[in-house]
Amino acid sequence: MTSLHRTADVVVAPAGRRPRRAWSRYNWTSLIYLAPALVFFVVFVLYPIWVSAQTSLYVYDGLTPSVWAGLDNYVTVFTDPTLRDALLHSLFLLIFYAFLPVCIGLLLAGAMSRIRIYGLTLFRALLFLPQILSSVVVAVAWRGLLEIDGPVNALLRFVGLGSFATSWLGNFDTALPSIGVVGTWVEYGLCMVLFLSGIATIDRSLYEAARLDGAGPVREFFAITLPALRPQISIALILTITFALRNFDLIWNTTRGGPGTSTTVPSLFVYQDAFQNRELGLASALAIVLTLVILVVVGIVQWLVREPKEVNR
Amino acid sequence: MKTTRSALRPTFRKSAKAAGVLATATIVGLALASCAAPGSGGTTAGTTATAITAEVTAADVAKLGDITLKMWADQAEEPLMKSVIPAFEKEYPNVTIDMTYKSFDDLLATTVNAAASASPPDVFQGNIGYALDGALVKAKLVRSLDDVADVYGWNTGTGASTLAPAMWDETGTTFGAGTLYGMSPISEVQGIYYNADKLKELGITAPTTIADLEKDLVIAKAAGEQPIMLGNSDQYAGTHIYSDIAATTQDPKDIATWIGGKAGSTFVTDGNKQAADTMTAWAKAGYFGAGYDGLSNGDAIAKFAKGDGVFFVGGSWNGASLTDGNFGFGSLASGGVGATASPWHISSKSKNAVAGIAFLAMLHTPEVGQEILDGGRLPVITDGVTGASELQTQTLDGLKATIAAGTQVGYYDWTATDMLTVMGGALQEVMAGRITSDEYTEKVQAAWAATHEAK
Repeated sequence: MTSLHRTADVVVAPAGRRPRRAWSRYNWTSLIYLAPALVFFVVFVLYPIWVSAQTSLYVYDGLTPSVWAGLDNYVTVFTDPTLRDALLHSLFLLIFYAFLPVCIGLLLAGAMSRIRIYGLTLFRALLFLPQILSSVVVAVAWRGLLEIDGPVNALLRFVGLGSFATSWLGNFDTALPSIGVVGTWVEYGLCMVLFLSGIATIDRSLYEAARLDGAGPVREFFAITLPALRPQISIALILTITFALRNFDLIWNTTRGGPGTSTTVPSLFVYQDAFQNRELGLASALAIVLTLVILVVVGIVQWLVREPKEVNR
Repeated sequence: MKTTRSALRPTFRKSAKAAGVLATATIVGLALASCAAPGSGGTTAGTTATAITAEVTAADVAKLGDITLKMWADQAEEPLMKSVIPAFEKEYPNVTIDMTYKSFDDLLATTVNAAASASPPDVFQGNIGYALDGALVKAKLVRSLDDVADVYGWNTGTGASTLAPAMWDETGTTFGAGTLYGMSPISEVQGIYYNADKLKELGITAPTTIADLEKDLVIAKAAGEQPIMLGNSDQYAGTHIYSDIAATTQDPKDIATWIGGKAGSTFVTDGNKQAADTMTAWAKAGYFGAGYDGLSNGDAIAKFAKGDGVFFVGGSWNGASLTDGNFGFGSLASGGVGATASPWHISSKSKNAVAGIAFLAMLHTPEVGQEILDGGRLPVITDGVTGASELQTQTLDGLKATIAAGTQVGYYDWTATDMLTVMGGALQEVMAGRITSDEYTEKVQAAWAATHEAK
């Protein structure tokens, strides 16, 4: 729905300013070039969203004729305490899935751009690796690492911290942060690569000037690198936040939302309602709400990291 | 002048924008409401089947002319089908079987839609419970098999009780009794696998009751062994142990009734609370080791096969992983819980139902039963079937015991589509001591009521 509105906004605005003339002057042939992508977009993106929105207003098992439900499904979404908990879990995961990867990415990119590292390409590739791996592979591997007899606990015991050893994914208090750590591991490589490419475009003379003024590496980072990376940080946040809020596969393949309900997230319920419980209406309503939540959160973050307006000096 | 304009314009634009949003929302809302409702095209129910009155003969099938029988099955059936299909095609030469194998998850996700499509498979496997079989019955997509059961005598003999989970009431809301809609040649039995070498070392014999087992657990723990190997991160392995205990703390028939969805039945019983308390006590005593919630069931069975743990509570489906090494199986004397595997259905739209019946009849014979056992699984027909190994024979005996004791109550997750998640999660909480056994039974009952009392 929101994307529909956005598209309309973009098309209507210029037409409003210059009525008719713009339309008649409009270069319609350009549409022919756009058509293939547009058709694809409509069929595989807009139409499914439309069907989801429609289904969310019905009680539908995918089989027998559906029954009009109005906003009942949405009422359930907002009143069911288990769904509310799931949303809170997702927001908690944002710290691990978005905030930490961006911080680690900045740190690594800052260090890599400054220090001349032998075999930089190799390190960059290795650090990017988690992003390429299939999430099922990641989940299974981490399940093994975090097991009670797994390598993580073995390391803790080796350094004399055996009392902290626990079944990280099986413990009610550590399961959610543990999944968060896995998310951090998956995402930081992406952030790092984005930031490295951003740093490459920064004019080197800025650094020279800063150095002549006596700035140290930390000052240099905060005065030049960080502000220059604003667009990359913005993109990294969009990608990581979206990943965090619609995250399903990592959780499904590690804890299935358990132990108890300590790691449930909304997308887990979307899957269960749609494919196990055959409550397509409720699943669609939840999916629509989740989409709107993602848009709102991403919107807020975009507003926070927006380019500052030109200030008169 | 300039300031006035710039002050005015944003407000105007804002309100225009707001009106635009409102209009768009209204239009979208109206459009959503006026569009055809999803599924309103509807699925046409099949024609009422012509009941058979005598066993289907090769001549009856020959009358159909040269036909292709389209089938869908779980890929686990492939080894068995490799011998059954050629035998069938030899007996009914005018029939060619076109078999499609699907993974179990795939089968669950796609069977209902395929059965509802314009060209459904003639014969296919479903799964007991509301998610799949319930949907098939409710939408009238599968043929009743009452006539077939009568003609072929499925209702008598050792396999008779195994038909119950495939029987449904008219509306597809309760199962366990009513019209027969499917038949499974394969059965399952829950029970306790033990590491025979370790039992010998510990000087104990295979337990036959929960009380025996409890004594053995103490001995195993004292000897520094992990008494029970459990991997509960998928949330279902714990429910198998729970149901084995629960079948001894109450009349197993009550469990079957509750699973079947009979109005007025409840999970909030002393027996269920007692079983939950036992699980909590065992977890607290460390009988499941540490970190069982962080271990998957598949990893747990692999560890047990390698020699970790004294007991593994599971079912006959785990037997295939335990072929190397000295393992034994015992269902409890109270009767381990058992159940029927995915039933076979005949599409209500099939024009070749007669051939489908002949196929199901062939699956329900002692010959195929023997092949099922040879393949490491359990047939519903146990007469005239013999095990090839010690473990197989023990498992078969366990099955016979559960059928005799009437504890083939089925699985809890059959009763509601979300029961596996609700009960599995709540059991993890009660085992960790985070909720009481009262709260546990109430949580489970609430999920049951949402399915059975709302409709």
